Amino acid sequence: MNCTETQERLPDELSGRLDPAETAEVRAHLAACPVCRHEHSALGQTLSALDTLPIASPSPALRRNCYAMLEAEKRSLAPTRAAAARPSRPAHFSILRWILAPAGVAALVCGGFFAGTRFAPPAPAPGLDPATKQELAELRARVDSVGQLVGMSLLQQRSTSERLQNVLATLDQRNPGQKVIADLIGSLALDPSTNVRLSALDALYPHSNQPIVRSGVLATLPREQNPLVQVAMIDFLVAARSHEAVPALEQLARNDTIDHAVREAAKRGLAQL
Amino acid sequence: MLASYPDIRVTSPSFVVNSPSEAVDPATDTLSDHELMLAVRDGELDALGELFERHHGPLFGFLVKLTGQRTAAEDIVQTVFQRMLKYRHTYRDEGSFTAWMYHLGRRCAADYFRRHQATPAATDPADLQDHPDEAPHAGENAAVRDDHALLHTALNRLDRDDREVLLLSRFQELSFAEIAGILECSVGAAKVRAHRALRELRDVYFQLQKQKLS
Ligand SMILES: [Zn+2]
Repeated sequence: MNCTETQERLPDELSGRLDPAETAEVRAHLAACPVCRHEHSALGQTLSALDTLPIASPSPALRRNCYAMLEAEKRSLAPTRAAAARPSRPAHFSILRWILAPAGVAALVCGGFFAGTRFAPPAPAPGLDPATKQELAELRARVDSVGQLVGMSLLQQRSTSERLQNVLATLDQRNPGQKVIADLIGSLALDPSTNVRLSALDALYPHSNQPIVRSGVLATLPREQNPLVQVAMIDFLVAARSHEAVPALEQLARNDTIDHAVREAAKRGLAQL
Repeated sequence: MLASYPDIRVTSPSFVVNSPSEAVDPATDTLSDHELMLAVRDGELDALGELFERHHGPLFGFLVKLTGQRTAAEDIVQTVFQRMLKYRHTYRDEGSFTAWMYHLGRRCAADYFRRHQATPAATDPADLQDHPDEAPHAGENAAVRDDHALLHTALNRLDRDDREVLLLSRFQELSFAEIAGILECSVGAAKVRAHRALRELRDVYFQLQKQKLS
């Protein structure tokens, strides 16, 4: 390979887009040619500088606006749908999807089951243990009631003490069903009252051995703004030995803009996990 | 040039790209992007939520670097998803979702640039780091920040077409076949353009570094 041929391939070599044979040829030429080596290093520096640019993330408004747009479009289709006698879907389906979305595990679980209920044959997920599969099946059946929960707590504006009573009532149930669990996660994620959110978390403690509970708490953590609740959630995840929480805790531990107590709790938690 | 595109129609045969990233993974029961978009086309609008979750981050990252402006990038992402909804009926059975998305993205960006008189404003690196999510960067040292600023300036000095192809090839995990589909050119041409853009960036970047030292 001569200099021109080598230099033509340098960007691909640096991006790992060359096949092994060509890579070997390019490297052999580089070993022998200082001119191409210089070119290689200059392009490499430029690319790595490009790669270290901070990754921007959008404001929460983007997600809100996009889902609002989606809901509006669905509403505009509603009359046609009614005429076609389609089964009605819970109005807050997307909102719940939105709550649980950003955490990897939760996104997988919920994405899978929401997508599954709507437009996929209910194929069993390979790689999941039977208990988790069973849980997912039950959750599939619960989408409607979860939608109702969101409707009640957000739209009907019942009083804080009423919502608190509802959460506390679940503490008396020895084996609450998946609907109750989903309601508690919904309250933790969405309730405007700090007290209700903290109580929901307390009520979830006995069920922290369920993957969906840990995923739900983990998914809600990045959205929580109140340091009290944030610390309680971190403690919850640590007590549940939730190793999936490590990346989220690392991010909190590094974040200078959040409350000192939250950062410390995250560091403590990381040491324990 | 971009601004003179006709209406959005996904009729270009160059979208017929089978991206490996969109192949159905038999090991999961999650749907591929393509299947989700077909579901949206068939009226299951909620599937767009899943597509949003999967793709808005990388699309936003691309548009922030392309426009140099966070708010513009957010507006464009929203417009892209709006257009996906509006033009969902034009999505084709053999389409590639990511290629379509970036195609819409650069089209919407072109509209944005046209409305804002062609040139992007010089990027204020602070504007790109003011978000709480990026707080880890807030503590980075001045030298690193300077280097980022330098690179942003260098990126902004490239022609928009060059910047676009460079960003698509470096950050978006797209094959050159897909990039060719997005840019509506041949695979060879897409490659040549990406390589030329990288060399251009290297020249500007090193020149700026030299200027800063002297
Ligand atoms: Zn050489």
